[in-house]
Amino acid sequence: MIETIEIFGEHFSMHPSGAMFWEEKQMLLVSDVHLGKISHFRKYGSAVPQNAIAQNFERLTAVVEHFQPSRICFLGDLFHSSLNLEWDLFENWMQDISAQVMLVIGNHDIISELKYEALRIIIFSELVLGKFLLTHHPEEREEFYNICGHLHPGYKLNGVGRQQLKLRCFYKSEDQMILPAFGEFTGNFWIRPNVGDQVFVITKKEVILVH
Amino acid sequence: MNQTQLIKLAESWFEGQGWKPFAFQKKTWKGYFKGKNGLLNAPTGSGKTYALWIPIVLEYIKNNPDYKTKHKPGLKAIWITPLRALSVEIEQAASRFAEEMGTQLTVGIRTGDTSMKDRAAQRKTMPDLLITTPESLQLLLASKDYDKTFKNLNAIVIDEWHELLGTKRGVQVELALSRLKTVSKKLRIWGISATIGNLQEAREVLLGPGSEAYQNSELIRADLKKKITVRSIIPEKMEKFPWRGHLGMHLIDEVVPIIRNSKSTLIFTNTRSQCELWFQKLMQKYPEFAGEVAMHHGSMAKETRLWVEQAIRNESLKATVCTSSLDLGVDFAPVETIIQIGGPKGVARFIQRAGRSGHQPGKESIIYFLPTHAIELIEASALQKAVRETVVEDRIPYLLSFDVLVQYLTTLAVSNGFFPKDIYPEIKSTFCFQGITDEQWKWLLNFITKGSQSLQAYDEYKKVEIEEDGLFKVNDRGVAMRHRLQIGTIVSDAMLSVKYMSGGYIGTIEEWFISKLTPGDAFTFAGRNLELARIKGMQVLVRPSKKKNSKVPSWLGGRMGFSAQMSELLREEMYAAQESAKAGGSKSLELSALQPIFERQQRESIIPGKDEFLIETFKTREGYHAIFYPFEGRLVHEALSSLLAYRISLLSPISFTLAFNDYGFELLSDQEIDMQQVLDNDLFSAAYLMNDLNNSLNSTEMARRKFRDIAVIAGMVFTGFPNKLIKSKHLQANSQLLFSVFRDYEPENLLFLQAFRETFEHQLEEGRLRLALERISNQNIIWKACEKPTPFAFPIITDRLREKLSSEKLEDRIKRMLLQWEK
Repeated sequence: MIETIEIFGEHFSMHPSGAMFWEEKQMLLVSDVHLGKISHFRKYGSAVPQNAIAQNFERLTAVVEHFQPSRICFLGDLFHSSLNLEWDLFENWMQDISAQVMLVIGNHDIISELKYEALRIIIFSELVLGKFLLTHHPEEREEFYNICGHLHPGYKLNGVGRQQLKLRCFYKSEDQMILPAFGEFTGNFWIRPNVGDQVFVITKKEVILVH
Repeated sequence: MNQTQLIKLAESWFEGQGWKPFAFQKKTWKGYFKGKNGLLNAPTGSGKTYALWIPIVLEYIKNNPDYKTKHKPGLKAIWITPLRALSVEIEQAASRFAEEMGTQLTVGIRTGDTSMKDRAAQRKTMPDLLITTPESLQLLLASKDYDKTFKNLNAIVIDEWHELLGTKRGVQVELALSRLKTVSKKLRIWGISATIGNLQEAREVLLGPGSEAYQNSELIRADLKKKITVRSIIPEKMEKFPWRGHLGMHLIDEVVPIIRNSKSTLIFTNTRSQCELWFQKLMQKYPEFAGEVAMHHGSMAKETRLWVEQAIRNESLKATVCTSSLDLGVDFAPVETIIQIGGPKGVARFIQRAGRSGHQPGKESIIYFLPTHAIELIEASALQKAVRETVVEDRIPYLLSFDVLVQYLTTLAVSNGFFPKDIYPEIKSTFCFQGITDEQWKWLLNFITKGSQSLQAYDEYKKVEIEEDGLFKVNDRGVAMRHRLQIGTIVSDAMLSVKYMSGGYIGTIEEWFISKLTPGDAFTFAGRNLELARIKGMQVLVRPSKKKNSKVPSWLGGRMGFSAQMSELLREEMYAAQESAKAGGSKSLELSALQPIFERQQRESIIPGKDEFLIETFKTREGYHAIFYPFEGRLVHEALSSLLAYRISLLSPISFTLAFNDYGFELLSDQEIDMQQVLDNDLFSAAYLMNDLNNSLNSTEMARRKFRDIAVIAGMVFTGFPNKLIKSKHLQANSQLLFSVFRDYEPENLLFLQAFRETFEHQLEEGRLRLALERISNQNIIWKACEKPTPFAFPIITDRLREKLSSEKLEDRIKRMLLQWEK
């Protein structure tokens, strides 16, 4: 179940996986995948389950197949740390991708740009598309609507009977949209939205407006 | 010199001090001379140090007739203490005897506080007696050629063994001993323990079940009877007494005369935050105490703690507000009076605290009990009985703690490396791992070498390597360094050190508390008002603050539950209260003070009797409450609440939050529970208990919390280390995240499963739960639909620490929560 919103006359579909599709540009936006994180941990002696590695790629494939985008833009932190064997898996994954892939560099992206260029991935420090500013870190720039990641937004939903649910979310304000972290093995930052902000939590199946 | 002459030597030294050896001391000396291992049951402050240190020195004298002129260097004995704070005291006592006997034996300390310089010196030449902690002993096993260091070790003494027994540090000790038994050929192992319910078992755990060491051992009891008097602090007007709360601050004025009338008083609180608050309040309300009242808890800087301990001994302090940090060791002769604020949660702990006063022979120990809320007065009454009848608890040893074993195997791989065929029999000989199977062993070896059970492509897992000759070895320096740093963190949350901007170390604080503050916020710590300036690496930089309103850090782990013994006493008192409420007169002082509250409880609901099980339901702004009163202690209630919530949730989709204390538990929901249906369906049945519990555990947070420690101990989460800045940012992940990944992708992992097993064995105490359910099945269930919270319900419903359980679909829950908001 997908939730579609309109910003500055353009249409965006939020997917329960945490990715977002920009209809007019046929562009899939994905933030904070943190590929290689599990391998990085394992390389340093922490035995995080290997099976979780495949899941990131499977979910990426699923969301790409669903929207069939002509462009895919990663909003930073595509790779968690220095080069490891998960890069090979990423190369394999790229072979089946016909869309143009772009990466807005995030603070975790320390792998050489040459490696990306070899895969025909175009690197940006930021991307301006009409009235939209695509960055990794949240930014405020006059006249622009900012789409970004980095924060790993999550929301604590409180209910009667002292109930609480913690979920990942899309965090939208007047001039900014922060995407949830797409990656499997990533943490969350619990946001406290202001009046007027919109929060869309994601479950495995749905995107639900809660604030 | 023969044995008699040696003992004469010791006796004349005792005489010189104006003392006379106790029978238990002489018995221990003789046991030691006979080459025995053993467990000495002696209370704190009874001269237990001399019971074991003296024969170690005397034997050295016997074997080295020229001991006065010649000195053979090298480690001869190790003294393990659970608390770093105790090491100085032991060092002083030990050096004194060694010196005055004219030997040249040296005594040294090695703990987390020992400087790098001293460590390096020790590496060159070990002292003859080394005083250390379980963690530091593990670290010694992680250094190269440790076998040479321990080759001539004659004796190892595990002090305060009862404190280690029911913990994973105890497992660390078991494993270290299993290695030392092989490495040190002439080793004698002695434990010292306060009185606990399972002393025989404690000896077995220490020495290894059925082992040679165990066969050749004895259990020596000091049997020093001491008179303990318990007095409750009861306010004059019961109306002033709060129904809830855990601070007890309302009785501060009643405490002051007790402090004034006593030479020196220790005020025990249950948590460090409570300790901070009491100290602050005393200073505010009674400024004349400045300089005469101090504070002591485990997070304060070592220098300050040592200063306070010295001041208690010098009689320069009128009172000290403290936590369990002063439970052990350290003999404070001048202390005359003990005040316990809030329930001590266990009889053994209460008796131990009482024993901190009145050290002169023949003197009675006086302990005042200050209840923090009304119902706790019942506890006071139960404690009096417990002390009279010396009812004490068991300490339940851990079984198959694979996390500690993973840590230990890595430790051996870091130093000399190991061959599984040599180490496996040693491990199997310990109490903890007596039941390990060959499959589990193989799993563990795979885990530390491959990080999984099968090799997969694209894997770069690196920890322990298997060399050509089959030696398991860590060759990567980074792995070795991170492992050494990690050994010390077996008990604590990520700790940050607190320092002044201008320099000066104040203490350590848990990361999660600081993470809630923003720069400029004020908080109280170590008795000072501080303002957070910034966080730099693992350091919290602060400056003094003048703000009145400051937050007080709370430390986790402050919540303990009643033991089975204590719960039983509590129930008896409860039933007595019910009887006396009926009869209109009371037996004990505490119960008569409670009369107004009992009357109100009786008016709005009932006070349950021996064959009654009370359930109360009512509605508040928060939702629909259902309160159950088994009086079985916090731990059993935690399990029962989650069991019952699970069973109710099977009837129809519903979400609960759960709360519990030592008296009962609460299921709170946004929907009304159909209580008649609960009763009709016999949901308290013991049938399918394990199955249902397992299912309910999957839906609550208990196992998740247990997994936190397991992940840290097994080296899966790298926490860094206080005072050391390490570039480990890309290696940070919280254990919650790790738990979810294991649950989704590797649920058969032994360490993941261990979290559930530990929840059963140590948290839920399945045996107690069964007994409780049996008892309930023989009681009449009385369901009272009340108008509002009753006096009994109040302390439970105001508890903020809650579990959650739900059988609703996630999406449905979100939607219903949203609907409720719109209403």
